[in-house]
Amino acid sequence: MERLARVLSSRTALIFGRSFFPLSAIVIILGAALWGPWVSLGVTVVAIAVALRSL
Amino acid sequence: MLFHFICLAAYACAFWLYLHPKVAGITGPWSRIAFVLASAMVLGWISGIDVGVNFHNHSHRPIFTSPFVNRWFGRIWTFSGGWPSFFWEYCHVTIHHANLLSAEDWTLPKHSADGKFENFQRYLFTHWPWRLSRHLWKDFTTRQSLRRRSFDELAIFLALWSIPFWIDPVMAVFLWALPHWIANAFVMNSGMYVQHAGCVPKTPAKPVSHSTVFVSNFFNLTMFNIGFHSEHHDHPRVHWSELPELHQRLKQELIDGQAHVVPFGNYHAAFLLAGDETRQKGFAQQDSRYKGGR
Repeated sequence: MERLARVLSSRTALIFGRSFFPLSAIVIILGAALWGPWVSLGVTVVAIAVALRSL
Repeated sequence: MLFHFICLAAYACAFWLYLHPKVAGITGPWSRIAFVLASAMVLGWISGIDVGVNFHNHSHRPIFTSPFVNRWFGRIWTFSGGWPSFFWEYCHVTIHHANLLSAEDWTLPKHSADGKFENFQRYLFTHWPWRLSRHLWKDFTTRQSLRRRSFDELAIFLALWSIPFWIDPVMAVFLWALPHWIANAFVMNSGMYVQHAGCVPKTPAKPVSHSTVFVSNFFNLTMFNIGFHSEHHDHPRVHWSELPELHQRLKQELIDGQAHVVPFGNYHAAFLLAGDETRQKGFAQQDSRYKGGR
């Protein structure tokens, strides 16, 4: 049972990991409704800068 | 598949908020520009991955057993990246993989015999759709077997691609066409550039110098292992999830063959190659774990 739970959780983590960029995009776009478009723009610029510097 | 549907959902969210500005906190032209810029950049980013990496895997190893389903799934996959799927497959499989780094591989930047690529920025801004259109037009119109199929595929693509323009033409320009330009110029073109910059065609003397290998774990986790690029070109039918294992099996060959292996991913490589000579030298650095053969 414990092994099954571990397999399931690692599989779920892997799916979220592989969908990291599109899920982040949805958070940034929909987030504009919560924190406004300027914060979304700021987060996007920071994300791009971090990717170019380290990824 | 899930990745592609999340991408389509991201476009739907952006369209909906654009059409309901009050919900998105858009109060005037400047806040609208901020929303459009943020959305276009992230949509372009994920569309570049969705077509250039995710659909790319499907073009080598189709998901379904039915060719009909594969063909139609391809069509509804690449239209959100500004491509008819048949065109993309033709460029990637028939031209790029079959002629890697030779004069016939017009998908890559123009390069000299020693492998030196043209300027990074020039390639990014002139390749898609300008150069590509010229090459595709030439290939498709001179080969009768491709002419009819390419015309049909282009018509299906245009029907699908035009949908956002029917909803709101201005929205379509900024939240559909602009992200596709970003996806192609900055994600896919830069990816093509960094994967083969400084590389030479495969020969018995240099069997693994045709591509750079990017071994960043986070990059490969989020980019369907596209970093294992030398392995991918030598074994294009191997499923993307099996590339890390293949990489481990071939590791000694890569070291012995003096393959170019870097500890980062495509994005940092693009940052380095877009810079001056000093910054470009950073790209040539070898991952310390792969220095054995040197």
